[in-house]
Amino acid sequence: MQTMDFDKAFQRTKAKRYFMDQAIVYVLFLCAFVLLFILFSILTHLVINGVSSINVNFFIHLPKPVGEVGGGMANAITGTLTLLFLAVLFGVPIGLAAGIYLNEYADYRFAQVVRFTIDVMNGIPSIVFGIFAYVICVLPMKTFSVLSGGFALGIMMIPMVTRTTEQFVRMVPNQLREAGLALGAPKWRVIVDIVLPSSIGGIMTGIMVALARVAGETAPLLFTAFGNRFWNHNLMQPIAALPLQIFSYAISPFEDWHRQAWAGAIVLIVVIFSINLLANYFMNRRHRFLNGQ
Amino acid sequence: MKKLLAFIFAVSLASVAWADATLINGAGATFPYPIYSKWFDEYAKMNPGMTFNYQSIGSGGGIKQITAKTVDFGASDGPMTQDQLNEAPGRIYHIPTVMGAVVVAYNLQGVKTGLKLTGDILADIFLGKITKWNDARIVAENPGVNLPDQSIVVIHRSDGSGTTYIFVDYLSSVSPAWKGKVGKGTSVNWPVGLGGKGNEGVAGLEKQTPGAIGYVELAYAKQNDLTYAHMKNSSGNYIEPKIESVTKAAEGVSIAPDFRVSIVNSSNPEAYPISSFTWLLIYKEMDDHAKGEAIVNFIKWAITDGQKYTEALDYAPLPANVVSMIQEKLKAVKY
Repeated sequence: MQTMDFDKAFQRTKAKRYFMDQAIVYVLFLCAFVLLFILFSILTHLVINGVSSINVNFFIHLPKPVGEVGGGMANAITGTLTLLFLAVLFGVPIGLAAGIYLNEYADYRFAQVVRFTIDVMNGIPSIVFGIFAYVICVLPMKTFSVLSGGFALGIMMIPMVTRTTEQFVRMVPNQLREAGLALGAPKWRVIVDIVLPSSIGGIMTGIMVALARVAGETAPLLFTAFGNRFWNHNLMQPIAALPLQIFSYAISPFEDWHRQAWAGAIVLIVVIFSINLLANYFMNRRHRFLNGQ
Repeated sequence: MKKLLAFIFAVSLASVAWADATLINGAGATFPYPIYSKWFDEYAKMNPGMTFNYQSIGSGGGIKQITAKTVDFGASDGPMTQDQLNEAPGRIYHIPTVMGAVVVAYNLQGVKTGLKLTGDILADIFLGKITKWNDARIVAENPGVNLPDQSIVVIHRSDGSGTTYIFVDYLSSVSPAWKGKVGKGTSVNWPVGLGGKGNEGVAGLEKQTPGAIGYVELAYAKQNDLTYAHMKNSSGNYIEPKIESVTKAAEGVSIAPDFRVSIVNSSNPEAYPISSFTWLLIYKEMDDHAKGEAIVNFIKWAITDGQKYTEALDYAPLPANVVSMIQEKLKAVKY
């Protein structure tokens, strides 16, 4: 009797459950599709509006005075690259060292505190890093500068780099460490010659992802790198940056500047995209390394 | 690894050592940004290696940054108050560079540029007392113009702005009600209206909002094809905002020795009433000899030869007596 009832109930609700199953999978698929759609429409929009303004002039000329047609963003492109280079100099050594320390040396309590701090830092709005850099770099030095901009971006990178370094270093099997120690190598040598080489791919990926994230930041640069209409090779002076230039061109009332803002956005996306590809490359190398190839 | 480190070290050393000749940084008002960037561009062509980098962050920001000495010069359309001057670490000079007009722009279907307004009516619109475009007082000033039965949407600046200062300075001088209730400053407590960021933002809102009224600098109104009002001046004439009528505003006004002078509501019968100087802010005693010399030389050029660029950008050139006063003043600058 009971099995009969169960069977009936099973038959009765089968269609309904089958339908629910399909519906939910479909909704999940739609969400995944929306994600693709958003990226795709952003890219199409960028290309439609900006691609006509991308030409040789855009890459080799300085901006024109307000309201005049023509000119380019050569200084902003090199400016962004310079700022990213400095950000790496500031952010990567500290992030890397902190990540290694957390996994290899730190006691549990302290590591917990640092991890919590990292989460808090990741949640701080980027404009706050900008204000921080303004107060501790710009005000005492009495000048807006490349250095302060690189510093602002660099300290934004620290928590991201620390977290990924720690995670990838932890993934190195303990047997490898023990093998090194058993051969008489001191701990530091094990870290430098065994742990780091086996996790370098992942660490590089983390650095690249952090770099890609700060590359598009505008807010931390407003009151540090400041912007510059001309070339600047002096670290103690303001410098142009792509996000800043895009911002000021986009809110201007001039048609030509709007077009250039779109073009600038494309260039910025290409820069970030290349960094992401590089990250992917390192990630793949890591897999091959771990698989013993 | 060692090679990489050595390379990074070498590159960073090289970039520090490779310094430019002279780069002078300034920040401030958006109102004169078009003419300033034109000047700095032309000046750099004539004096290679002498670059002036100007960021238009607003008059309020300009005053703040020159006070913090993070820039070499500031720029503002509203003169610094005595309190602000006292706060600065050194004596600050106001140097007028050009004059300009703040125009009252509106977005009304079928009404062209040239709607006639008085200061009184304008103040009452911005106080929220007049709310319809076909209000009897506006109609009375504009016989023959078909004014729609439409609500007025007031638009003002949301940021600290010299353009705002000029506008409310004018309203305060013509309307006791405005002076008592709102007063003047680079940002005030607006009784009604929407806010836009920068001259750009207000111009954008104006374009999108039917029935809007707002204030922008003349060049921004022209470049965005906004329609704007003719204002009744203190002699009772309706005046179009343009270079000649702005120039007239400075005539007959006695210029204070520190140049902090308001030319709104001028007594000249041909003057456009919402006109103003705009100022560069520099320290009387410059910290850096090379930069100080460069700034003074630039100003000398801007107030004489540089004035020929004003007209194409809808600014009025400085009156001759002001130019000679500035030249005298610059002799006191130490660098």
